[in-house]
Amino acid sequence: MQKLATLLLGAVAAVAPALAHHSFAAEFDGNKPVKLAGTLTKLEWTNPHIWMYLDVKDETGNVVKWQCEGGPPNSLTRNGWSKDSIKSGDQITIEGWLAKDGSKTCNARSVKMPDGKAVFAGTSNNDYK
Amino acid sequence: MNMRFGQPLLFAAGALLWIASAFGQQAFKPPTGPVPRTADGKPDLSGVWDRPYVPDMTKTAPNQNGLAELPFTEWGMNAWKSYHAEEGDYTGACLPFGLVRSINSPMPMQIVQNNKYISMNFEVDNWFQIVPIDGRKHRDQIPTWSGDSVGHWEGDTLVVDTLNFNGRTKLDTVGHPHSDQLHVIQRWNRTDLGHVAYEITIDDAKTYTHPWKNTRTFTLRPDWEIMEYSCEENNKSLWEGRIKVPKF
Repeated sequence: MQKLATLLLGAVAAVAPALAHHSFAAEFDGNKPVKLAGTLTKLEWTNPHIWMYLDVKDETGNVVKWQCEGGPPNSLTRNGWSKDSIKSGDQITIEGWLAKDGSKTCNARSVKMPDGKAVFAGTSNNDYK
Repeated sequence: MNMRFGQPLLFAAGALLWIASAFGQQAFKPPTGPVPRTADGKPDLSGVWDRPYVPDMTKTAPNQNGLAELPFTEWGMNAWKSYHAEEGDYTGACLPFGLVRSINSPMPMQIVQNNKYISMNFEVDNWFQIVPIDGRKHRDQIPTWSGDSVGHWEGDTLVVDTLNFNGRTKLDTVGHPHSDQLHVIQRWNRTDLGHVAYEITIDDAKTYTHPWKNTRTFTLRPDWEIMEYSCEENNKSLWEGRIKVPKF
């Protein structure tokens, strides 16, 4: 049961940010996944969604600036996260989906630290079962 | 572009989230005890209530029973097929969620009750509905986003009757339609200290050939408080054009 719970919590981590109370498909393309590894330059801990700004190096080493939308801060707060959960300078990997407008914008499906620890997903409470 | 382009993925994700939610909800146990009552002996619905997020009223999942096949009229089916959120997303544009989507929303609500009014305060976009329960009839007023509600008791069940909607909202996130002829009947039955058995009836002869229902279970969260939620505060998606304001 514990392993199954862990698997499903992983699933929550994987999918939770994608379920908004308004239409995902209006803004983002579910068939265009992105995986961005880079440096967090700014976190906007705001309603209606948090925003993470990422400097990502492309194949030539040039920095490409991305912005990715996360969940609402209220829901994140209830799951134990805060505006201090990640900081400018942190190396993070965001997996999500690309915006339909062609900009360097994504909806974050998961946010992870270099050690693989999930951020802004499910709950940060280590006692959560 | 069809709004349903991303739906299979979204629904798969939704199924996983709902399954995981079941585990999450098993992790929290509300307090046990009898139904609290107000001074006049009625069940007191006051409290902060967690509700299942229902982006699609045809679905069934933990704590929610939907109706798989909606009985569309021809008008209703046309309205359903012609809705594309990328052409205009009213909630994304910070317009009022309306009654049914507020109930369906993933954020908690707080009910405050006295012997004359029941105030339903939704965290999502910080909207509220004040339901008079003093026996008055519906008001004659302009149609509104959330309609005109009056409530009465049938035994220990609060019945909230709402009509006079402006027809500009949708029933759920995926966009099931309704018209300005919508008539919503909610039944709130606090079964014990920690739970409400909830039923919502959608009665809209222009959109559906007959009334249909969803039933849900709400859970008391005495450890939560309603927080401020400003859609307008940093709506980059709207300001940068990814969300469009619908034309009514």
